Amino acid sequence: MKTAQTHYAHQRPTIICLVGITLVWLLSAGNTFAAGAKIPRLNGKPDFSGIWQTISAADYDLEPHSNRKDAPPGAGVVEGKFIPYLPSALEQKKKNFEARATLDPALKGYTLGVPRGIYYPEPFQIFQRKQDLTLVHQFGHSVRTIHTDGTDHPKDPYDWWLGDSRAKWEGDTLVVDVKHFNDKTWFDRAGNYHSDALHVIEKWTFIDPNTLEYQATIDDPKVYSRPWNISVILYRHREKDFQLIEDYRFTLDYDQYYPPKPNKQ
Amino acid sequence: MKMNSKLIRSLFMSGLFALTMQSAHAHHAFSAEFDAQQPIELKGVVSKLELVNPHSWLYLDVKQADGSAKNWGFEFGAPFSLKKNGITKASLPVGSEVTIKGYRAKNGKEFGYAVTTVLSDGRNVKTGGAQDAPDAQAQGQGSTQ
Repeated sequence: MKTAQTHYAHQRPTIICLVGITLVWLLSAGNTFAAGAKIPRLNGKPDFSGIWQTISAADYDLEPHSNRKDAPPGAGVVEGKFIPYLPSALEQKKKNFEARATLDPALKGYTLGVPRGIYYPEPFQIFQRKQDLTLVHQFGHSVRTIHTDGTDHPKDPYDWWLGDSRAKWEGDTLVVDVKHFNDKTWFDRAGNYHSDALHVIEKWTFIDPNTLEYQATIDDPKVYSRPWNISVILYRHREKDFQLIEDYRFTLDYDQYYPPKPNKQ
Repeated sequence: MKMNSKLIRSLFMSGLFALTMQSAHAHHAFSAEFDAQQPIELKGVVSKLELVNPHSWLYLDVKQADGSAKNWGFEFGAPFSLKKNGITKASLPVGSEVTIKGYRAKNGKEFGYAVTTVLSDGRNVKTGGAQDAPDAQAQGQGSTQ
């Protein structure tokens, strides 16, 4: 007599097999599936809003180096390891390195520029809208607007500290074209520098909902013999109530005067 | 009760108003860097124009008596205020001849503050941005064409 139990017993191995195959498929497709389905989106595009920071040591020196009194060792973040300086520019870089304790513009609290503000060891916050992304850096409260409204660089540019940023989407990657810089920022504490002909192309992508990959191609025909690439990973700050805190270095020397102290009798 | 809340509201509003009334201090301290007792007028060839905040800078090669050229740097106002007076990168191309009227730097080096600049096309433009700078002898009122 065929009972319900016997009927299912027959099909059990097949069912187990099918369930097993589905599980394996889900698990193996885990990363791309999860990333594609779960990254935050705004108007269909990836939404990079949030507070981000790298844990990379790039700001000490983009190139590989052993430890120093003022820096930990680092494997470097430059593709091909070393920055392709033109011979005369390399001499300038060496001078910068020797005098870095006084010449580094970040020590004076100057705007960090692009891309140093991205991998400087302080958080920055992204506010994203349909027409732009606004980056606010805790260090010096620098604000950079990345325009995603299809507009082009202005015809009468200034020599901006952060350049002018115009971006377009390539799938889920934001590709940003930045130019019209001045020559007053460094790329790191080791004296790696650029001229006002600097041109940076950035690529921003989600690795997962809390991790970004940031790549930059740096081009400056006055300083380098060819363009070169760097890459860092940015992590989302998820601590409870995390927010940027005011950090204006250049006011520190004046703290002794303001607010004015009452006259001592 | 109504009286009280109205009073509180008006006190609050006037307090807020008082907070927003701040005296505008000129934060361009001309006299910290430049000497009002040392006016200067120089003619030279533009070598570099930096339209940078907070102060733009124009560098020019000034021909010396012996034929050599000395490079001088002059502080201009902020890029936005220059633009209002008609100055962009195209107004001061490298190689163009300009005349600057201004004041020397206190450090004695080849630096100065430019009150007005005569461009190569003849325009006389106010390029200085400091509110506490003295007037030069022949100051342009914006750009004169």
